[in-house]
Amino acid sequence: MLVLDRVTFAYPGQSVPYDFSLQAEPGEVTAVTGASGSGKSTLLDLIAGFLLPSAGSIRLGDTDLLPLPPEARPVSVLFQSETLFDHLSAAHNVALGLPSRLPRRKAAEQVRQALAEVGLPELGEQPAATLSGGQKQRVALARTLLRARPVLLLDEPFSALDDETRGTTRNLVKSLTEQQNWVTLLVSHHSEDVAAMARRRYHNTENRLLLS
Amino acid sequence: MVNLSRLALAVGLVAAALPAAAEEVPMLRVFTYDSFATEWGPGPALKAGFEEDCDCIVEFTTADDAISTLRRVQLEGETTEADLVVGLDTAIAGEARATGLFAPHGLELDHLDLPYPWTDPLFVPFDYGYFAYVYNTEELPDPPASFEELIALPDDFKIVIQDPRSSTPGLGHVLWIEAAYGDRSSEIWEGLAPHVLTVTRGWSEAYNLFLSGEADMVLSYTTSPAYHAIAEDDDRYAAASFEEGHVAQIEVAGILASSDKQALARDFLAYLTSVEAQKIIPTTNWMYPVIDLEDELPAAFAELPKPETVLSIDEEAITANSRDWAAAALAALR
Amino acid sequence: MPPSANLNLPSRPLRLLGGAGIAIGIAAVVALVFWSIIVAAADEPVSARSPVDIPHLLRMTSIQAGLTTILSIAVGIALAWALNRLRFPGRSLVVGLFAAAIVTPGLVVAFGLLSVWGRAGWASQLAILLTGEPLGVSIFGLGGILAAHVILDGALAARILLARLDAIPAARLKTGQSLELSPWQRFRIIDWPAISGTIPGLAALIFLLAFTSFPIVLLLGGGPANQTLEVAIYAAVRLDFDLYGAVLLALVQVTVCAAIVLAASALTPVPPSLGPSQGQKWGDRGAAHLLQWSVLLLALAAFALPLLSVLINGFGEALWSVVARQSFWQATGTSLLLATLSAALALVLALGVAQARAATARPLLRTGIGAPSYAYLAVPSVVLALGFFLLVRSFGINPAHAAPFVVVLANALLALPFAVATLAPPFDAISHSRGRLIRSLGISGRRQFLSVEWPLVAPEAGVVVALSFCFSLGDLGVISLFGTQDFTTLPLLMVRSLGSYRTNDAAAIAALMLVLTLLAFVLLPRLFSRFADARP
Repeated sequence: MLVLDRVTFAYPGQSVPYDFSLQAEPGEVTAVTGASGSGKSTLLDLIAGFLLPSAGSIRLGDTDLLPLPPEARPVSVLFQSETLFDHLSAAHNVALGLPSRLPRRKAAEQVRQALAEVGLPELGEQPAATLSGGQKQRVALARTLLRARPVLLLDEPFSALDDETRGTTRNLVKSLTEQQNWVTLLVSHHSEDVAAMARRRYHNTENRLLLS
Repeated sequence: MVNLSRLALAVGLVAAALPAAAEEVPMLRVFTYDSFATEWGPGPALKAGFEEDCDCIVEFTTADDAISTLRRVQLEGETTEADLVVGLDTAIAGEARATGLFAPHGLELDHLDLPYPWTDPLFVPFDYGYFAYVYNTEELPDPPASFEELIALPDDFKIVIQDPRSSTPGLGHVLWIEAAYGDRSSEIWEGLAPHVLTVTRGWSEAYNLFLSGEADMVLSYTTSPAYHAIAEDDDRYAAASFEEGHVAQIEVAGILASSDKQALARDFLAYLTSVEAQKIIPTTNWMYPVIDLEDELPAAFAELPKPETVLSIDEEAITANSRDWAAAALAALR
Repeated sequence: MPPSANLNLPSRPLRLLGGAGIAIGIAAVVALVFWSIIVAAADEPVSARSPVDIPHLLRMTSIQAGLTTILSIAVGIALAWALNRLRFPGRSLVVGLFAAAIVTPGLVVAFGLLSVWGRAGWASQLAILLTGEPLGVSIFGLGGILAAHVILDGALAARILLARLDAIPAARLKTGQSLELSPWQRFRIIDWPAISGTIPGLAALIFLLAFTSFPIVLLLGGGPANQTLEVAIYAAVRLDFDLYGAVLLALVQVTVCAAIVLAASALTPVPPSLGPSQGQKWGDRGAAHLLQWSVLLLALAAFALPLLSVLINGFGEALWSVVARQSFWQATGTSLLLATLSAALALVLALGVAQARAATARPLLRTGIGAPSYAYLAVPSVVLALGFFLLVRSFGINPAHAAPFVVVLANALLALPFAVATLAPPFDAISHSRGRLIRSLGISGRRQFLSVEWPLVAPEAGVVVALSFCFSLGDLGVISLFGTQDFTTLPLLMVRSLGSYRTNDAAAIAALMLVLTLLAFVLLPRLFSRFADARP
């Protein structure tokens, strides 16, 4: 279980600091909603390690995440955009989720499987720049699968997708979360996404999270 | 173990033998300017000719022109590896003398044939020429015959000259006007200013500008037309004779006092003024030889008109004033 | 984890260390060069001080360099704009031609310019043919200097800006296309933001090039009125042997140049986009299309004609006598070897600097690492040559033996500003836009380079190698004081031919050097693009 306890943070010049407390269970999607600019991305940055809180704690099970630098945290992030290296192929991007020591053939096999898992078995050699928004998010998901980190952070992942892709991608995230037993945290202002995926919902208001 | 030490011994012997072998034949190191030592210059033939008898090896080290050669000698001072400097000229001889780095040559030079008698105890002349404007006789049938005639021409009559701060002919040009006009020099320079197309860093840029048709005349040597006549079989070029007279550039060589091969260096200078070596000079350095070659002087050289008046400025005056003269000339052009 | 550490950039202490090492190394070399001249100056009797009017020189040089910069940037933008829109067979050759202009030896360009625009040039002959009157304009003076500089530097600007335009993501263009932006709107809204960040650095580079320009200013300057500090320094060393004076003047020049480099690097933001993007298929129509073709054809006429004239003048009878000589092949071999080595060194140094700069967000550190790369532009080459020479001697090494090493180092330093200017933006772009992604994926520094950065920068690395290769091929630079007859490069052979009345030989060598340069510029980037597919 991912537990945030009175995680306090303020940007320079911010009078009322953020004060986040939250619990998220493995195997289910926990959603955080709120208006744009209400600090949802700040929350993810704190968990991913890109920002350091001034007080409070972030724990996954028995592990204290705060001393860990971003690369050492048991966290995968699916960024809103800039989630792939545009100049590399889809397969190359996915392979970055694997340890570099892995033999080439074995790595290629795992990449192929992961791409098949997210429903893109044919797109491996295509440059990421030429993929559609939905395809990009799914390639990034395939990479997340290979990284096998227990926490998945989603920052408005579906905002650029059309309704149909949106539905399939949503279902994919949900089923992967259940299947891999991830703690998946979804930040979104889109109530439909939240309704379709999340079992537990927090609403961010006045810099605090309220369970709703 | 035995094999290894034998190998080491063998390597050691070879290593020891190499410098020893090189040491047996003395190496005469000559500082000179670049075009002297190129494959087209007199360097290779002089080297071959001298090595025939000297039982030595001649090695050229070059700087890009005469002034650089002197600067390098000055920078290296007594620690220089060079034995000789070949290619200084009368305009910088005074400065070279003042460094105290040169030793007397001790040669008898009575046989030389120069614009004026030679008595210098330090420097040995090896070729000479007169500064002059070179023009194309087809384009310019009626060249100016004096600086004043040149100045009187319309402004679109262009000449290319060289910067006196970086080029030997450039400095020679300043001395020429100084020798001819003295106190009136700045007047001449101001008169020249509208005709000066550009002032180049070195002789070759200026000459190339002239050859590509950008200017009507270029500051060069009276001997330049001989190159075109001999190497290109082209008789169109000539040097304009000026009534004021012309200044000679005499190129000289000197032995460095720090050299431990004084005798060999003296032999080289003696060779340099011999008939054999002087025959090489005209068609490689494109200057007059310093001895009378009589029939052996190429016809194209023999036919060149020699100036009626030879101007000169004494060395002390050059050394003391050349900077100021050059600065004044440049100021007039500005 | 120290609280001050930037969490949005991967932590790369080795890269920072490497970059700092290079920066300090270059700064140390420059300091040693000055120090060795000052030591030598102390041994020399004080001769007459060269009468130099520093403020006047600074003013004249700044006017010339300022005008060059403005014109070159304007020409560069117009040309990059046209080339970005137009697709035609031979486009990459044309791009290669423009890129090659900057590395063509200044003297060659100047003489090429003369054979087109000079009194006896093509343009004048055409004018005589048409009107019976020769062309009344003179290529000498400030106009000539500017023309030659704009040919060299405008082409450089075009090449660098074109790379930025070609990197605009296809998606952004599609958006623009769907909004039916007019060509002018498209330039303002899409193109300008993509290139504006590059302009301060580019302008600084061009300003420095023009500020320290030497052979062109001397040849086309028309007289002592148009001179640069660099020329005065040359005179101080050569004619007056005033070493203190030379150091003083050189320090003035270094100070001015450093101020410009620092100002430019403070103004240069991180570039917004990554490398060449695929699928740019939006060409303009109508008047803009016509304008683009006119710009291109005009530029081709202005840029290519002088170079073409070099080729035409060179491919005459003299060519056969030149290629029949052993000395030519020896010089070619030496030049190619030196060029290869210095290109490799320049690439390694530039990669080191670019990686280190991208690894930190602190402006001071970024400047400190980047600024020494510009050393060669600021330090006059006669001072460098002299300093290297004294330095080598003070270590007890025969200058003739040290010559190849010094030349390789000097040529690598000469190309470094351009190499860094080309390579730093993609590295900055990656760490800026994907730094968090790289951190969250826990990618190691080695993997980041091999797997992520190299595939992106490989084509640019090809350009850098081509650039350094050709710079080295064409440079006379520091070799003059070190010369021995056994060590001859192509440019040296060219200058020697000129100095021995062999104008036609020199023209042939210039033409051959130009051909080599063009070949390098077309082939090397392609070769490197092939290396781009590294393993994940």
